[in-house]
Amino acid sequence: MKITVCHLYPDLLNLYGDRGNVLAFVQRCRWRGWQVEVMEVNLGDPVNFADVDFLFIGGGSDREQNLIAADMGKRVENLNRAIENKLVVLAICGGYQLLGKYYRTPEGKEIPGLGLLDIYTVAGDTRLIGNVAVEAELDSKKTMLVGFENHGGKTFINDTMPLGKVVSGNGNNGVDGTEGARYKNVFCSYLHGPLLPKNPALTDYLISLALERRGYDLELTELDDSFEESANKAMVKRLIG
Amino acid sequence: MIFRFLLALWLAKIAMVMSKLTGKGRGSSLPGMLALRICPDILKHYSSQTGRGAIMITGTNGKTTTSNMLAGALEHAGYKVINNREGANLLTGIVTSFIKISSFTGKVSCDYAVLEVDEAAFPVVIKWIQPRMVTITNFFRDQLDRYGELDTTISKVVGALKKLSADTQLVLNSDDPLVAKIAAETGYQTTYYGIRPAAEISGRASYSREAKFCPFCSEALTYAVYIYSQLGDYKCPNCGFTRPVPDIEAASVRHRQAKTVGAVIRSGSSEWRLELPVQGLYNLYNALAAFTASIKLGLKPEVVIASLNRYLPVTGRMETFKYKNKKVILALVKNPTGFNQALDGLLVGDEEQDLLIAINDNDADGRDVSWLWDVDFEILLERQERFKRFICTGQRAEDMAVRLKYAGVSVAQISIEKDYNLAIQAALSGECQVISMLATYTAVWPVEKILSGMSERVKFSEDHGMSSVS
Repeated sequence: MKITVCHLYPDLLNLYGDRGNVLAFVQRCRWRGWQVEVMEVNLGDPVNFADVDFLFIGGGSDREQNLIAADMGKRVENLNRAIENKLVVLAICGGYQLLGKYYRTPEGKEIPGLGLLDIYTVAGDTRLIGNVAVEAELDSKKTMLVGFENHGGKTFINDTMPLGKVVSGNGNNGVDGTEGARYKNVFCSYLHGPLLPKNPALTDYLISLALERRGYDLELTELDDSFEESANKAMVKRLIG
Repeated sequence: MIFRFLLALWLAKIAMVMSKLTGKGRGSSLPGMLALRICPDILKHYSSQTGRGAIMITGTNGKTTTSNMLAGALEHAGYKVINNREGANLLTGIVTSFIKISSFTGKVSCDYAVLEVDEAAFPVVIKWIQPRMVTITNFFRDQLDRYGELDTTISKVVGALKKLSADTQLVLNSDDPLVAKIAAETGYQTTYYGIRPAAEISGRASYSREAKFCPFCSEALTYAVYIYSQLGDYKCPNCGFTRPVPDIEAASVRHRQAKTVGAVIRSGSSEWRLELPVQGLYNLYNALAAFTASIKLGLKPEVVIASLNRYLPVTGRMETFKYKNKKVILALVKNPTGFNQALDGLLVGDEEQDLLIAINDNDADGRDVSWLWDVDFEILLERQERFKRFICTGQRAEDMAVRLKYAGVSVAQISIEKDYNLAIQAALSGECQVISMLATYTAVWPVEKILSGMSERVKFSEDHGMSSVS
C-alpha cells in the first residue's frame, strides 16, 4: 500500500514549523510499514487532488497569501470535487482562512477566499496569541488537543461543526468558545505547535479516514506514544491544572 | 529635571550593587528598568556624551558577537567604548550599560557607544540615541509570537531608520536580500560586506529559508550559490534586484574545521589574512560586519584583524568546559537558523558525542516552540553513529523529545529529564568524551551555572593548547 501526501505550497505556506504536521502524518504511516510519497506542490505545479490521500495547507505571511489566492483560484473546482469525495485535508491558520468565504480587512474590504467552507474571517484589532487546550470528539472518543495560536483574524463558522471546544485560550475568535472547523473530511485549526505531532489521536484519526476513503477497513496498529502523550499532558497540566 | 535624573541614576546604581551582593540575576536589565520608571528620558542625558557617536548593531543573529568584536577592535585601537556586552539589548539593558559606567554626577567619559539593539526595540531606542552608523547582520525567522511576522519586523526597522539624519551610515550584509534591500529603501550611504560565493561553501537549502521571493516584486529569486538559509548569491529574474558587490569580501574561506575559521579579507586591491578563533560561517559574517564598521570609522585594518584574531566569545554563545577528561561545549540556540548552524558545527569532527538540549518557553525564548520543527535535526542522522544519547531538558523537554523522535532518532537514544542538575549529571556520566549542550536563552544561564560549578572553564588560548581529548 502506498499513501500519497500532498503538501501545498511548502515554500510559501511554511510559517511556525507547520511542516511538522506533514512529518507526523508521514512518520506514523511509515512506522506502520506503509510506503508514503510526499508531493510538494508549488505555484503552477500540476496536481489532481482526487489522487491524493492527505492534503496539508499551512499558513503564510500576508505577502505570500496574496500570491496563493491567484494560483488556488485555478485549482478550486478540482479541490472542491475531491473534498466532496471525502479527501482528508488539514488546514492551519492562513490555510484555514483561505478555505472560507472571505477575509474582511480592517478597512472593511472583503477579500474573497475559496468558499469551500461556510466560514468567514474578520481582521481583529489585537492578535490572539498563546497556548491553547481544546476538547475535541474524534470518532466518538473525547480527546484534549494542545497547541499554540497566533492569529490576527477572527473566524466565525456559522453552522459549520467546530473542531472542538476551547478549554483554555481563544480559538476561532475569542468569543464563542469554538476552535477550528470540520466539514466532511476537512479539518481546520488555528493551532500551531505543530498540531499533529503532539496530538497523535488526531493524526491517527486522519490516517484512518484516509484509508477508509481508499476502501481499506484497517484497525491501526498501536504505536508507543509516550513522548507525544507526555508533551500533550505537560501542556494540559500547565493550562488546566 | 536634573534632580529626577540623579535620583534615577542613584537608585539604579544601588539596585546594581544589591543584585550583585545577593547574587540574584546578572543585574543587566533591572537597574535600567528602575531608572526608566523614574526618568523616562534618561538616555538623553547620556547620548550627547559619547564623543564620537553611537554605532548600533541590529538584525536577528550575530548582534552580540558583532558588537563585542567591534567594541574589542575600537578598544584595541585605544578608544574608550560603552558596550552592552552581555546582550541585554532592549531599552532597559542599554540604559543599564550607561548607568554602569556613569559617575554619580551623571558623567560618562567615552569615545564610542557600541550598542546591540533588539530588532523590535530599535524604533524605541533611536528616539533617545541617534546612531551615526547602523550595522545590520541578517533577518531570520525568530520568536514570531513576540515580533509578529518577519515582514513586519523588517518594515518597522526600515521605518525607524528613515527617521535618522541623512548622513547616517549603513553597514549591510550583501548576501541577505532582506538586509541588502534596505540601502535602496533608505537612500543612506552604504558599505556592504559579504562572502565570495564559491561552490565549496555552499550549504544545503534549509526548510526555514526566509526570503525566496524578491522583496521588491515578489518574483522567486534565483540563486547561483546558497550559503545558508536565504544567504547567498541571489538575483531576481524579473526586476533585476541582485546581490550587491560587497565593498569588503571574504574569500578562500576555510570553515569545515573545528575551532577556527580562516579567510582572506579583501577590499579593493588590499587583502588581509583572518584566522578567527571561533568556528562557523556565521562567525565569519560577524567578523566581516565588525571589520567593515571599524574600517568605516577610520581604524587601521591591521589593528582590526589583530583584534579579531584574538576574539574571546562571551558566556553562553559558545563556550568550552573540561570535566574530568571530557570536553563539554555549551552553545546558545534561539532560532532555526542559529540552531541549524549549531547542528552543522556538531557534524564537524569524528568523536562520538552525547547531546543535551535545553528548551524553555519564557518570553525571552519565544513562548511558541513550533520553531523547533523548522530546525533540520534530520541532518544529525547523516552521522548517526556519532551521536549516542539525546538528553532533553528545560520547560519544553517533552516537545524536544517528540521533535527528535519524528526526525528519526531512535526512541531508545532519547530521554527526558526536566531537572537541569540531573540532566547535566546524566550527560556527563556517559561513555562519550565529548558532550555538546545546546540551550535556549533562559536555559543557558542555569546550565552554565551548574556546569561551571562542576567543571573547569577552558579559556580559548588554553583550548588551543589542550591536548585532543578524543
